[in-house]
Amino acid sequence: MDADFFPKWKSQVKKGTLTLIALNTLKGQEYYGYELIEHIKRNTELEIAEGTLYPLMNRLKKEGLVSSKWIEQESGIPRKYYALTKAGEQVLTEMNQYWKELDKSIQKISR
Amino acid sequence: MSLDFLNLNQAESKRLYGDYVKEIKNVISELPKNDQSDILMEFNSHIFEALKKDTTDNEADRLASVLDRLGKPSNVLKSYIADKNLQQATKTFNPFHIIKALILNVYNGISYSIFILLYLFLFSFIYLIFAKLLYPSEIGLFVSKSSFRLGTLDSDNFPYQEILGFWFIPVMLLLIVLFYLLITFFLRLKQNATSKIKYKLKSD
Repeated sequence: MDADFFPKWKSQVKKGTLTLIALNTLKGQEYYGYELIEHIKRNTELEIAEGTLYPLMNRLKKEGLVSSKWIEQESGIPRKYYALTKAGEQVLTEMNQYWKELDKSIQKISR
Repeated sequence: MSLDFLNLNQAESKRLYGDYVKEIKNVISELPKNDQSDILMEFNSHIFEALKKDTTDNEADRLASVLDRLGKPSNVLKSYIADKNLQQATKTFNPFHIIKALILNVYNGISYSIFILLYLFLFSFIYLIFAKLLYPSEIGLFVSKSSFRLGTLDSDNFPYQEILGFWFIPVMLLLIVLFYLLITFFLRLKQNATSKIKYKLKSD
């Protein structure tokens, strides 16, 4: 067996679930980019480059799942805040539901 | 809103920051101006917030670690550029846009490699036209009783006979146009298929 197999597989799963993690983080709470990343890192091990989150948020915005707005700060350097849209909430519910079903099937199979 | 650059104190951190911003600008230089300034502002904001949080080391060391965690712009912003180019390519039928998009998307999966293969066919047809002009007797459509060969063959290769003559060139031109339309059409189909799946997810 390739000794790297498990770490590689893990990082694939993480990449694949980043969308789910980011959307769940935004549930009921707005975050600006850096804060969002910090929050995700506090709760899960984020092993990818932090910057990857920005193109992802951009894509989610284009899909209409999140909205964003720039808010001026006293520091002179504004923050871009992200929030879930109504459509985003709906899809997220379905995504979480699917995740549960997947988890159930895996448990059944691996029993 | 415009980009307010950071107030850094050390020459070393100024250089690091400047290099990083320049790299971002290079990577995203083909995006619309609005998107460019938005991305720059967002990375700038991230760097600013990250530097503010952590005050232990000296500025340049902190900045270096912040940029390291962010990742190389050429890596991090790649997906955004690839999406954008493919979108543009299928809108315009412009071969250079399509080739660029294909190269950028080649890592996205085997399906794009198939498209590249189709493109290779296309270019070999073009090559054959020129070859036909230079070596008329060795290039063509060679037919025997049971099979055919398109391309090169020694003229004295017995069972095969060339049947097109200089009609070979217009036939190649026709094939080129056909392949070209086919590739662009498939690319569109592929894109529509992916967006339909996404749409279904949303509306279900």
